[in-house]
Amino acid sequence: MSERDPPDPLARLGERIDRARADRVRGPTPVADRSAIQQGLGLGLRIGVELVVAIGVATGLGWAIDRWLGTRPWGIIVLFFLGVAAGMLNVYRAVSGISTPVGYRRPGADGGATRPGQDPWDDDEN
Amino acid sequence: MAIELHPLEQFTIERIIPIHIGGLDVSYTNAALMMTIAVIFVTALMVLATRRAALVPGRWQSVAEMLYEFVSDMVDSNIGQGGRQFFPFIFTLFTFILFANLLGMIPFSYAATSQIIVTFALAAVVFILVTTIGIIRHGFHFLSLFVPHGVPKVLLLLLVPIELLSYFIRPFTLSIRLFANMLAGHTMLAIFGGFAASIGFLAFFPTAIDVLLVGLEFLVAVLQAYVFAILTCLYLNEAVHLH
Repeated sequence: MSERDPPDPLARLGERIDRARADRVRGPTPVADRSAIQQGLGLGLRIGVELVVAIGVATGLGWAIDRWLGTRPWGIIVLFFLGVAAGMLNVYRAVSGISTPVGYRRPGADGGATRPGQDPWDDDEN
Repeated sequence: MAIELHPLEQFTIERIIPIHIGGLDVSYTNAALMMTIAVIFVTALMVLATRRAALVPGRWQSVAEMLYEFVSDMVDSNIGQGGRQFFPFIFTLFTFILFANLLGMIPFSYAATSQIIVTFALAAVVFILVTTIGIIRHGFHFLSLFVPHGVPKVLLLLLVPIELLSYFIRPFTLSIRLFANMLAGHTMLAIFGGFAASIGFLAFFPTAIDVLLVGLEFLVAVLQAYVFAILTCLYLNEAVHLH
């Protein structure tokens, strides 16, 4: 009995480990996914403020310029629209993942030649 | 039974040690106290955790190592080449905001990051640093940041002001994001807490909401520190690797 048994618990343990491993893969979010969620959340929280603040600050600046130069209401009008544009630009850059270059230049867009196999919209950091 | 609700009362600045220098009020306030505590906590964590560093880390050492690796990965993946020299700055910024946010979650403590002047000071430091580094590294060429490439000359008249505006708005977005999130979260907690205090036996519902909100606030506290740090990385990346 004791000669036949030993392999048995070991085999069962092996099975259990295998099952636990399989569960683990399916179970909680894998690390890669978790960092994607984290980035998504970060991005979402980022862009909410972007538009509002851009418009607010630009309009405030316009108001201040008007007060200073007595150009009411032109400063506030012009800067309001500039603020809307700047805010939208910031949001666009944040969501399209090209927040890194402020200019429109993307790698490959310069000489017209995109490196093979590289999405021109996909900005590589270096 | 009228209990007066003051959800914003928690943000009152109180002078602990009044100091006046030449008409300037530089008193040591409760916000300053919380920031001091945050600095002490971060320093204590890093120093104590690494003092008896072991190959197999203990609890505190793994906390410190996780923080280090998290920020290190963030710097490497967002600034890349030449980013290591900014690591101490980003790490300091991230841990300071993280601890200030989390310390604010302790009941009856004070969230220093819910003061716009605190977050704006942090954002201004980042903004000045990024601009200075850009100018030092690239000199006059740094201004090409504001000139979109491959655009008709006439459109530049419109686009350059927009680019300038979107650049100079950064310290505002950076500071208002953190400040507004902390302020809103803590106000919300206080409002629901106030409901619970004033409606007697029905208090279960607002209390339940508050419990959920506390969880959300912890998430926001960590995430906002992360967002602040990662945006700093992105801005630095831009200044270092000007296209």
